[in-house]
Amino acid sequence: MDSKEVADLIKAHVGDVRIVSERRLFATSDKQRFRDLLPALKVAGVTHLSTITGVDRGNAVEVIYHFDCQPAILNLKISLSKDDLKIFTITDIFPGAVLYERDLMEMLGVKVEGHPDPQRLFLPDDWPEGAHPLRKEFERESK
Amino acid sequence: MTFVVPFGPQHPALKEPEYFRFEVKGEEIIDLNVRLGYIHRGIERALQERSYLHNIYLAERICGICNVAHTTAYCQTIEQLANIEVPDRARFIRTILCELERIHSHLLWAGVAAHEIGFNTLFMFFWRDRELVLDLKEMISGNRQISASNTLGGVRRDVKPEYVPTMLRVLNKLEKETKYYIDVCTSDRTILARCMGVGVLTKEDAIKLCIVGPTTRASGVDVDIRRDDPYAAYDEISFKVIIEREGDVLAKVIVRLREILESIRIIRQALKALPRGPLRTKVAPKIEPNEALGRIEAPRGELLYYAISNGTDKPERIRVRPPTYANIPSFKPMFVGGTIAEIPIVMASIDPCFACTDRVTLVDSHTGKARVVSFDELRGRRK
Repeated sequence: MDSKEVADLIKAHVGDVRIVSERRLFATSDKQRFRDLLPALKVAGVTHLSTITGVDRGNAVEVIYHFDCQPAILNLKISLSKDDLKIFTITDIFPGAVLYERDLMEMLGVKVEGHPDPQRLFLPDDWPEGAHPLRKEFERESK
Repeated sequence: MTFVVPFGPQHPALKEPEYFRFEVKGEEIIDLNVRLGYIHRGIERALQERSYLHNIYLAERICGICNVAHTTAYCQTIEQLANIEVPDRARFIRTILCELERIHSHLLWAGVAAHEIGFNTLFMFFWRDRELVLDLKEMISGNRQISASNTLGGVRRDVKPEYVPTMLRVLNKLEKETKYYIDVCTSDRTILARCMGVGVLTKEDAIKLCIVGPTTRASGVDVDIRRDDPYAAYDEISFKVIIEREGDVLAKVIVRLREILESIRIIRQALKALPRGPLRTKVAPKIEPNEALGRIEAPRGELLYYAISNGTDKPERIRVRPPTYANIPSFKPMFVGGTIAEIPIVMASIDPCFACTDRVTLVDSHTGKARVVSFDELRGRRK
């Protein structure tokens, strides 16, 4: 699917869609609508999740899912307030997300609900609880 | 009763440290747990704290083997971010460098795989021919390995006309040798006994777990970023996407060796079509708020960069998703049901690059207490 076809497919489930080129588009959604969007993507033949990115935006954490819709890449953003940093797992629909969600949990402190194996992935076992290296407030102690 | 066989962090069959915990029943593997993070260097955070120009050199050092892949992906993402067009000549030179790197990476991998099955003669043959590619890389970029050729807006070094005859001569030799290796790998009894039907990844699993690169192509999945989402000069060059159906270690060997032949074809075409013109355009140090995603087909598969700019000369966030990270989930279906003796070659079969995978956070911990190493300490400075 190219960007236009993807935009048509997802328009009921997203807030705004920005088409950058034939193979790149960005969209914003929220938790409820995102849940309905996933099966729609799967039915349309999207099987590849390239990765999940977490970005600290000050008082919110933005979670971006990069879906490969061949050839278009859909970048789907969901903004989570820092008071309620929870999102449900998508591993039931996209099992390839399993490591990316663990990465998201430890690096940005987003709680992924229903994850089959919520262990640490990269950080050492003795890493302090609650220290999330990609958060803005995480400062280097040695500075 | 089951028994646990720890594998790593330090192990002769692992070229980089990572921990694998195999649960075995007799000789059979029944479960596997992977623990990553032994070579974390905090590169994603570090990328946020350096300027766009400085970051080229940091991205280049994420991986020693596929450094051109990392800088190509980084540079084209930042170029999209700043809306810069790269000159045609630079696009073709990037293509040539990427393919030279693919040849050297696949030969390096084939050598390691031969060594893992105890076939050291073949290992030395592969690495002898890899030297030819490294010499070409040195001729173009001045370095055998870390080429430092890519820069924002183009490339720093030219492929001069006097290089072309040497390159064509070496490519002819490599083509002949690679064809011979394909014959060897499909007929030698030792290789067939160790690789055929071992470590199978089915097509369904490869699609389900979002596996990338030669690992997924060896299972019959038809994906290649060079064709599906063309970058550099790949949309002006014709090449085949190599696919094998079996999904075992042998299929992964054949896919990579046949990809070398395709890479040779790509370089020949690029050398022939190399347009005249400037090598680079100027890039302003500050980039207006924007976001961009760039991906390329690195030797091990899809390499993805996602960047957000904020109007300064430093990025707000850069996400790097190297191919081995995406391929880690494939270990479980490949190992479970196999035997302990298969571990080294099956592990090698995805061409793992742990330095790429482990690069997300700032970590250095001593017993009991977490501590972070400063940049000055890393550089050995004393205050």
